[in-house]
Amino acid sequence: MILKRMNGMFLISIIPFFILVLLFLFVPLFFMLYSSFQGDGGSGFTFKQYLEIFQNTYYHQAFKNSIIISFFSSLIAIGLAVFATYSITLFSKKIQDRILVFANLTANFAGIPLAFAFIVILGNSGLFTLLFKHFGWDLLNSFNLYSWSGLVLIYIYFQLPLAVMLIYPVYQGIQAQWKESAALLGASPLQFWLRIGGPIILPSIAGTFSILFANAMGAYASAFALTGSTYNLVTIRIGALTTGDIFARPELGSAIATLLGVTLVVALLINEWLTRRIRRDLS
Amino acid sequence: MSFLTIENIKKSFDNETVLHSLNLSIKEGEFITLLGPSGCGKSTLLRTIAGLIHQDEGKIHIDGKDVTEVKPKDRQVGMVFQSYALFPNMTVQENIEFGLKMKKLDKETVKQNAAKIVELVELTGKEKSYPRELSGGQQQRVALARSLVTRPKVLLLDEPLSALDAQIRKNLQKQLRSIQQELNMTTILVTHDQEEAMAVSDYVYIMNKGQIAQSGTPHEIYTRPVNEFVARFIGNYNVLTREEVSNLFKGEKNFKNKMYAIRPEAFSEDRILDGYEISGKIQKTSMLGNITRFELEANHVSFIADRLHKIDEDAQKQETKTLYLNRKDVIPLS
Ligand SMILES: Nc1ncnc2c1ncn2[C@@H]1O[C@H](COP(=O)(O)OP(=O)(O)OP(=O)(O)O)[C@@H](O)[C@H]1O
Ligand SMILES: [Mg+2]
Repeated sequence: MILKRMNGMFLISIIPFFILVLLFLFVPLFFMLYSSFQGDGGSGFTFKQYLEIFQNTYYHQAFKNSIIISFFSSLIAIGLAVFATYSITLFSKKIQDRILVFANLTANFAGIPLAFAFIVILGNSGLFTLLFKHFGWDLLNSFNLYSWSGLVLIYIYFQLPLAVMLIYPVYQGIQAQWKESAALLGASPLQFWLRIGGPIILPSIAGTFSILFANAMGAYASAFALTGSTYNLVTIRIGALTTGDIFARPELGSAIATLLGVTLVVALLINEWLTRRIRRDLS
Repeated sequence: MSFLTIENIKKSFDNETVLHSLNLSIKEGEFITLLGPSGCGKSTLLRTIAGLIHQDEGKIHIDGKDVTEVKPKDRQVGMVFQSYALFPNMTVQENIEFGLKMKKLDKETVKQNAAKIVELVELTGKEKSYPRELSGGQQQRVALARSLVTRPKVLLLDEPLSALDAQIRKNLQKQLRSIQQELNMTTILVTHDQEEAMAVSDYVYIMNKGQIAQSGTPHEIYTRPVNEFVARFIGNYNVLTREEVSNLFKGEKNFKNKMYAIRPEAFSEDRILDGYEISGKIQKTSMLGNITRFELEANHVSFIADRLHKIDEDAQKQETKTLYLNRKDVIPLS
């Protein structure tokens, strides 16, 4: 009886959540899928949009660019975060909390304001660019904010704090007694991390990588604000097709967005598969 | 000749002294138990011996060698924790072989040693399992095997059996003792459970507030507590002040110590020659399995007396009971 009533309460309180998910997740998803199989202007069922994407090298390039920048910015961010977060765990609890607040803040600093901040600091007449020039070092010779490397820098900038926040709890999962046992059995700290600590945190690191990858694949505003629509990324293509610089083709945009989703799912599956190969105990 | 000596070990955490100039010495192959209330510094002492905590003062010698400044990994000390601390990403076999691999022994030796230990702790057939696939008792045996396989000079066990249920705990106690004797392993066990301490060890060290309150064989500890703390901690001793004892044994005047202890089972219903005789009023009777416990009052002093349970229990509340006690069973405490 009591159990039933509790279930009832549970259902009632979860209904608003389901409605929210339905309205803002499934309905748009459904319309995106539906519209991706429509001809221009909604003229009946067709694979035409997908065919166009598969045949058009311009879209191939957008996917390639997006995947490359997402992959590398995620990889670099996660590589840095693994070490940065480990050093954070060595501080006292109080300092750790402060660093996390800071990470939280910076992780949310993205999009147009972030691009603008970078332009002010490292742009052609940015603060540091001018400062360095004053000291006789022309930054522009080796680094151009409006190029690929500038874009990668911005991506890493907003990925890194997110990675730190996601990896921080992972280190809490390492029991002190594993380290102590390993030490008493003759293992050095490096051996501990290679044989025990590393493999244990690996699935979480891989999961974090997936999130970062998705985060980067879906990023739009920073890249758009920095390079306009000159840099060919999937999100910028979708943006152009739906808002329409010249003429809008929302159906084609939907098809690209669907493929973007598929890319993420495939990336997630590859990730999962690799993780399970290394951590045999999980399967 | 002592094998492990601990001299004047002091340790404080944030101005709170946890170990007060503690001394301890153990012979080779001895099994000793540290028994004491929560927070008295048992784990801290073990971790200091293992080198996981650095003491503020004092020296530790193992097998004639000063290890005070030696790193944990070079101390040849094995440790088993209450939480098992098995490596979750490794199989039973890999967990057990870990220490041997760290020693860079050749493959064949690693395999043979591991196989021997697996058999000793009766885990044959479980080699390929992962820790999460094992029961608590099995996991603890893996942890034991993992520590034993490297043949440490000293084995430290920090409440290894506390998380297990009573039945398995009893079995593992026996197994632990027999393995320890077979390998002649110098062992220190930390436990909360006095029965466990009495059952397995050669010597028991009662710890209180970072000091050794008393040490001795289980028999000595149980029958001759030397101070109030031990008397209260061990068993269900009646701990009475000088006035209370004098009142209880009316007419006796030569009690010199401040405190005295009397084991509840020392009271007898049969007359004891040259003993004390007490008539007490029964306040409460309780059945504790095979014994019956009486809470009595005599001359305004409350005390408890135990007796083996009788089928035709006859005692009634408020009834007066006459009990006898040997003089030597009134133990003076310091
Ligand atoms: N790393 C530490 N930092 C600060 N205080 C500590 C630390 N480790 C132990 N203490 C303190 O030292 C005291 C003794 O702790 P210890 O763990 O040795 O007790 P114990 O006898 O093992 O208790 P239990 O039976 O509960 O395990 C406690 O008051 C504890 O709070
Ligand atoms: Mg403890």
